[in-house]
Amino acid sequence: MQILTGVYLFFILATLYIYSFFLLILFKNRKDLFSYDLLDKDFPSVTLLIPAYNEEDNIAGTIESVLACKYPRDKLEVIVIDDGSKDKTSEIAKRYPVKLLQKSNSGKADSLNQGINLAKGEFIGVVDADSYPEKNALLKVMSCFKDPEVAAVTSAVRVKNPNSFLGGLQAVEYTIIAWARKLLEYVNSVYVTPGPLSVYRSEVLRKLEGFDNKVLTEDIELAWRILKNKHYKIKMCLAARIFTIAPVKFKAWWRQRLRWDIGGLQTLNKHKNVFFRHNYGMVGLFVAPFFASTVFLSLLGFSIFIYLLSKRVLNAFFFTSNSLATDSLSMQIKSIYLSPSIFTFFGVLLFITYFVYLIIGLKMMDRTNVKIDKKLNIPLYLLFYLPLYPLVFIHSIYLILTNKIIKW
Amino acid sequence: MVEIQKDVFWKAALITLVVFSLGVILGYSLESHRISEIQKEFKQVEIEWADAKLQNNFYYQLLTPQYCDAAMEANLEFADKVYEQGLILERYEKANKLNDEMFYEKQKYSLLKLEFWMNSIILKEKCNAKYNNVVYFYKNEPSITEKAAQDTQSKILTELKDKHAEKVMLIPLPFDMNIAAIDIITKTYAIEEAPTIFINEKIKLEDIQSLKEIEEKLEL
Repeated sequence: MQILTGVYLFFILATLYIYSFFLLILFKNRKDLFSYDLLDKDFPSVTLLIPAYNEEDNIAGTIESVLACKYPRDKLEVIVIDDGSKDKTSEIAKRYPVKLLQKSNSGKADSLNQGINLAKGEFIGVVDADSYPEKNALLKVMSCFKDPEVAAVTSAVRVKNPNSFLGGLQAVEYTIIAWARKLLEYVNSVYVTPGPLSVYRSEVLRKLEGFDNKVLTEDIELAWRILKNKHYKIKMCLAARIFTIAPVKFKAWWRQRLRWDIGGLQTLNKHKNVFFRHNYGMVGLFVAPFFASTVFLSLLGFSIFIYLLSKRVLNAFFFTSNSLATDSLSMQIKSIYLSPSIFTFFGVLLFITYFVYLIIGLKMMDRTNVKIDKKLNIPLYLLFYLPLYPLVFIHSIYLILTNKIIKW
Repeated sequence: MVEIQKDVFWKAALITLVVFSLGVILGYSLESHRISEIQKEFKQVEIEWADAKLQNNFYYQLLTPQYCDAAMEANLEFADKVYEQGLILERYEKANKLNDEMFYEKQKYSLLKLEFWMNSIILKEKCNAKYNNVVYFYKNEPSITEKAAQDTQSKILTELKDKHAEKVMLIPLPFDMNIAAIDIITKTYAIEEAPTIFINEKIKLEDIQSLKEIEEKLEL
């Protein structure tokens, strides 16, 4: 058996494990995914922080949708933090009954930390300035805090603009991400509390000294620090929907993904000492190893693909030039032989499993009434969108290695 | 302490192991089936070869030219059979990833082809035949450039065979499979590069040769 065969088999084994893991959690908890026990009394006080930088186009909509949330007014405090915007963000925010913190530009994490210092609520939520919670989203999120061990609750982030080409693909992606994140809740491994809408217990947030402004994805890093404590849980309220504006231009999309990947790697690097250490809860036992192995597997899969592709391309190139040189270039219809290898079967199995996973995910998420053009977007998502992941990832590794991390 | 569904970790591992093992067992069975298919074919070819050899011996003993045509025809038929089997074997070898036995089958076929070549030389001499022995030396594990060169050369040689079916005994031989008899030949004729064509035990052509260049060297 060749080394490459061993590498293929390892890749297949690891990927099969990940698929089995998610499908098993789904099978066990399929009736419970959307359930929540709505709060009807004893509403705790909540402060929602809206960090904004040059968001004059979106800030009004965000504030309006936050203020329209079904939650007792006397229990809801909204603070808009203008991170040194050069546009009319502050001017617009002043028109609404919210608190406004104007400061010089220092980044999102620092803005949020300053907001935390001002917040009076027992719970502190973050709402990105380009995101729009549904009316009952906050109520559903807050209902998950009935369990005193829950330190943070995230929501199902959906795409507000799915009608553009890139928006449609991201609508599929966000749906599957939200669904997979919910599945991870059952092993207490929700590894990110995303910016569009996540709520934290104030005491936890203060105990952990807020967000780390050295990491590009402060929401991932904070979630890891929460999970490092064996007594804290992060829940994901799949029924609580928040709509966010997804990038519609490829350059903006690429830049956003670079930020996510670099931030993820920074988080992994910051917490590199937690691997397989029981003291650090699920971060040590699962989240960090899972995160690292998905990174490794995607790079490995991509390398195998590139290796096979380049071999074929080079062979075709040399074959054509040789044929031209010997005047033997002719169009031939080669006989089709069906001699599939074990990898063909495993490849088909993995593809079918992922496809089934995707279809089940999208089907179950139909309950959230977000319409996605599946016929067009699913094939495009599988064939063209997913293969872009490792490319962005390689670019982000290059930026880290060359120390070219730009400020965002 | 936070409660989590820990059982999914080992259950998923168990499911993975079952599915993976089943896949490997199925894959291994498929590969073994292919090998036994090749072995079965090889036995048949071996019998045919023994038959052809006996026929040739018989003709040699009689030394009567009228039997030469029959001997040559039998040889040619056998050449085609071995060539086709070789192609199937190549295909199966590429598809077999777990079971190394196909390599040994290939070695056996190579030895048979070598024996066939030797017989072809004797037959040609005894019968003063007009066919050409075209031995094609290639590598079983070529580099990318060698593979492309071999693919081109194979295509040209197939064209040659199609064009001059009666006049060409095409014998492909891998020379990097650790077969001592082939190693002796490659050393004797200083065959080091892949692809190399060796025509009628006299002319050695290295690198890719066009159809025209090969035809020029043949006795047609």
